[in-house]
Amino acid sequence: MSDIMEYKCPSCGGPMEFDSKTQKMKCPYCGTEMDVKNFQDGQQEYQNGDHEKTDSGSWEAVGSGQWQEGEKEKMRVYSCKSCGGEIIAEETTGATTCPFCGNRVVMKEQFSGELRPDYLIPFKLDKKAAKEAYHRHLKGKKFLPKIFKQENHIDEIKGIYVPFWLFDAEVGANISYNADRVRVWESGDIEYTEREHFEVQRAGNISFRNVPTDCSKKMDDALMESIEPYHFSDAVPFNPAYLAGYVADRYDVEKEQCIERAKRRMKHSTEIAFRDTVQGYHSVTPSHSNIHIVNAKYRYVLYPVWLLNTKWRGKKYIFAMNGQTGKMVGNLPMDKNAFWKYVGAWGIGIGAVLYALQWIIVLI
Amino acid sequence: MKRQMRAVFFAILLSLIGVLTVSAEEDRTHVGDEQNIAVSRLVDEADLLTDKEENDLLETLDEISERQQCDVVIVTVEGLGGKTPEEYADDFYDYNGYGMGKDRDGVLLLISMEERDWRISTCGYGITAFTDAGIEYISEKFLPSLSDGKYARAFEKFAKLCDDFLTQAKTGEPYDVGKMPKGSVSPFWIFGDLGIGLLAAYIVACSKKQKLKSVTNKITAQDYTVDGSLMLRVNTDRFINKTVTQRRIERNTGNSSGSSSRSGGSSTHTSSSGVRHGGGGGKF
Repeated sequence: MSDIMEYKCPSCGGPMEFDSKTQKMKCPYCGTEMDVKNFQDGQQEYQNGDHEKTDSGSWEAVGSGQWQEGEKEKMRVYSCKSCGGEIIAEETTGATTCPFCGNRVVMKEQFSGELRPDYLIPFKLDKKAAKEAYHRHLKGKKFLPKIFKQENHIDEIKGIYVPFWLFDAEVGANISYNADRVRVWESGDIEYTEREHFEVQRAGNISFRNVPTDCSKKMDDALMESIEPYHFSDAVPFNPAYLAGYVADRYDVEKEQCIERAKRRMKHSTEIAFRDTVQGYHSVTPSHSNIHIVNAKYRYVLYPVWLLNTKWRGKKYIFAMNGQTGKMVGNLPMDKNAFWKYVGAWGIGIGAVLYALQWIIVLI
Repeated sequence: MKRQMRAVFFAILLSLIGVLTVSAEEDRTHVGDEQNIAVSRLVDEADLLTDKEENDLLETLDEISERQQCDVVIVTVEGLGGKTPEEYADDFYDYNGYGMGKDRDGVLLLISMEERDWRISTCGYGITAFTDAGIEYISEKFLPSLSDGKYARAFEKFAKLCDDFLTQAKTGEPYDVGKMPKGSVSPFWIFGDLGIGLLAAYIVACSKKQKLKSVTNKITAQDYTVDGSLMLRVNTDRFINKTVTQRRIERNTGNSSGSSSRSGGSSTHTSSSGVRHGGGGGKF
């Protein structure tokens, strides 16, 4: 039986939750508000160990023996402290709501020791904002099936703290380019083309901070990357009280796996940044490129995401909103008929206008 | 048929005249005597047309000629028998008695297969109706078909344009420099324009469709670059070499821009039988 943390209102005993509007703990029943720190202090026991991980250089700094027993079982059973009901959760679930009494519970062990996130960005936007963003998302989409818009039901909407690895790195690069400068002029009946060839070399460093990669298998990588960027300036040291009222998962993809994605992105950005320093040429092609990560650090954080699910004609559609910035993404279905009707109508229209124009030009 | 036979007879006769240039004098006068006899307005000696095409074309030519009171004649021959196209066309016109009214109003198109010559000869009112610029315009329209060997189509175009030009001339202002018939747009362009329109609409539609897709992988980490962190240890632009290539510029030494500066009207000359003719010609 795992240890569960619950957040009871000190006034009425109702379940407290984190309120994104006031950025405080709030009791939805009696309206009591407390800020997270005071609330946490009142909740005794939780020791506020400050372990910011700033291991540098080596990626193998942390072993992964900690939660192997957890992998054996796919499900876990907790018992609610308020009502004693059994809460069945996935092995990675770190925060949920008791289905019987509605109490907000956080599975403490999911975020302890190695699994303890370093930072977290609290939700800035609430469910209402997510719904509004969803409706805005449907607007101005020409070929979105009308019925999809009209039916417009959201099956499920939930605020999730998604685990991310953040990588800081200094990237060293040494890139050579072949560059050409072309000048064309005329003298009498002769056109001269002068081509100056240069060998351009750029070597140096560039730094990246907090490049995120989601480390939850449940979350689609592309979906999570699409709601970027997150601004780390809003992050606060992890405190489980923030999770109250939301769903939270712990990571199940190791950082060694995630670093590859982050590396690829950083290298690509490095190439672009270096290329931008080669100016004043008509053509530039890289001839030799050596990019390596010099110095790297990582952090484990939880980032806020609103997930909206909807089903339409047997197909699932998932939308995600950045809980910090409100950026909404999600692929929408297309009305093929509307698409071809549009192409046909406009095609014939444009064709007719062109033909008429040709006549006008000829007759004038 | 009889008329055609006769025309052919005269054509052969004329070629003979060409060969026997010296002794031709009496023959010519002989031919000249029969100038009042109406000869067919279509003489297909080179046999470029099928019987059906001949009949249709002749019908058209007769109809236009009668209506406009001005002969429109088409002649095809194998060779010119040593004459210039101008001489041959003028003589053919004069000796076969073409032309309506006392001024012998008419226009004749001669095609010779030997050297692929074409020649338009005008007479009487034809000189007024078909100016030099007009003849050039007409030739531009029918020459492409002629060159392609589509003779029936070329002749039809010629006949239709003659009709248009004669009608226009009746208004007192024949087509001339600065006042040419309005062009037309081929109906085939409908398909071309439709194709362009559909393609443009498809591109626009695809860009609108793209809005439905908002989930994509990020390939850069631009958002997380530390501002001003780019430090360059090496920053060299080394000059390697220089190549200079030269090219002679092809300049159009514009001598074909004449049509705008040319003065209008018809230039004329006098044929061997003393009749004033206008016209123009070339190769096809």
